[in-house]
Amino acid sequence: MKRDARRAVILFLLPACVLYAVLFLYPVLSSLLLSLYDWDGFSRQRHFVGLGNFVRLLSDDPIFWIALKHNAYLLSVPTVIILAGALFFAAALTSGIHGARFFRITYFFPNVISMVAITLLWSFIYNPSFGLLNAVLKPFRHGSQPTVWLDPNHIMGSLVAPIVWCSLGFYLILFLAGMENIPSTFYDAAKVDGANTWQQFRSITLPLMWDVITVAVVFLVIGGLRIFDLIYVMALGYPNEQSQVIATYLYEQAFNNAHMGYGIAIAVVLFVLVFAATAIAMRLMRREQVEY
Amino acid sequence: MAASARNRSLARPLGLAALYAILLGYAAVVVLPMIWLLYTSLKNNREIFASAWKLPEVPHWENFVHAWVRAGIGRYFLNSALVTAISVALITLVSAMAAYALTRFSFRGNRVIFYAFLAGLMIPSQLALVPLFFLVNAMGLLDTYAGLILVYIAFSLPFTIFVLSGFFRTLPHELAEASLIDGCTHIQAFWRVMLPLAKPALVTAAIFNFLGIWNEYLFALVLISSERLRTLPLGLANLLMVTHYENDWGALFAGLVMVMIPTVVAYSLLQGQITKGITVGALKG
Repeated sequence: MKRDARRAVILFLLPACVLYAVLFLYPVLSSLLLSLYDWDGFSRQRHFVGLGNFVRLLSDDPIFWIALKHNAYLLSVPTVIILAGALFFAAALTSGIHGARFFRITYFFPNVISMVAITLLWSFIYNPSFGLLNAVLKPFRHGSQPTVWLDPNHIMGSLVAPIVWCSLGFYLILFLAGMENIPSTFYDAAKVDGANTWQQFRSITLPLMWDVITVAVVFLVIGGLRIFDLIYVMALGYPNEQSQVIATYLYEQAFNNAHMGYGIAIAVVLFVLVFAATAIAMRLMRREQVEY
Repeated sequence: MAASARNRSLARPLGLAALYAILLGYAAVVVLPMIWLLYTSLKNNREIFASAWKLPEVPHWENFVHAWVRAGIGRYFLNSALVTAISVALITLVSAMAAYALTRFSFRGNRVIFYAFLAGLMIPSQLALVPLFFLVNAMGLLDTYAGLILVYIAFSLPFTIFVLSGFFRTLPHELAEASLIDGCTHIQAFWRVMLPLAKPALVTAAIFNFLGIWNEYLFALVLISSERLRTLPLGLANLLMVTHYENDWGALFAGLVMVMIPTVVAYSLLQGQITKGITVGALKG
């Protein structure tokens, strides 16, 4: 390479590489190391405990398992609803009905709003004294007590709605693009063979969309594992055992309780879970490539 | 849209009326809370608690004044605008430079560096959170915009470099080479020829980074502690916590409306580009 070119490469790459190495790779790698220590973050001393943090986390910490259970709920229930809803709406909007553009734009809109704002909006909707939801349900309640949507018995179910509400549009757009790529001749041929709508969906749309659906499942599972803003803000900064998830528990241990090593160990477990869930989802969804 | 020619109708099994009822029903689920939010932001406390449906007797514009001035939404707004503008500009520039070098020059370590950036897409930001706090503190940048902005840049690099290098690969080699023959340096060729050509990809990446950073909460929560430096998501979350004690719900509704306005405006102007960006990013990725 000529000298001028080499200088240009170094100049172009340097800022990105330095920033990435210092502020991304270094903290990520030191997390892996620091998870092996007992450390409050402020004193000089760190006690090396080997895998002690992980052993305690997995065998002796009921809250971690409760948090994990909440994550499992929040990555499975909304995922099923979002996939079904987005596929249905995508099929509906590609069937040549009027107003498809209006519906697409409207449905996607909540995706651009900040999660904190969405959390506020839904905490208003669920509010027991002035909330929209109880006002909507009032005629159906026949005078019985209004539901307290964010009480311990209902909170997990109540968190599903804002998750679906704020992300369904994204998957709709994804599926619309996938469906528009399918040549219409396939459907014409199926119709000639007498296939009904459901059969067409099952044997043409679904197999040809499988890769896109896999991407969607991976996104949704990762999102469900990493969820933080919604839980943290809904609980006004102090999630309890009714709504604690891994990311909020990590934050609480590290920054509220000054258990830095332990908090980092939770972060490492979160990373492993994200990695494993992605691999499992890809594996379960693997099918033979359909060429078309 | 080619779809209309397709005539693969969901309408037949469901009935066209039922299909429209479902579509309009979900549209109402999306829009109704927004409308409720809008008119409730003009009510006073008494009206808010009296009924969710009634419109305000007189619009209480003072809610907006309270939110903007007393609750500090105005300041948080400007803070967020500053942090987001600087971050997005720098991310776009730094990533474009790196993506250009990685796609246009062959040198030893090229692949390694590219995959090192790509690997960042798989890593949840929480994994870096705790050491990052101490690192930024050691750099003397805790509770400063510089610290927050540098972190935003670093964590946006994988996505942005991924998108931009995909685009640079599609551009013809000859243009940059022609400008080099004309006596441009590599830097001039990049700045005057390649960057303008890459504009569509730069804009798409910038929109996504804008939305991500404007709405970002966790890093800001950990790295910013001063009240006067809070970004909008921080300020808004704090306002919610404070309102539970101070009980000025009208101002909180008004604050939420103001927070949503720029995103609504950006979305209505850019929705075509946003949806196209999702499609390209996810289907190729």
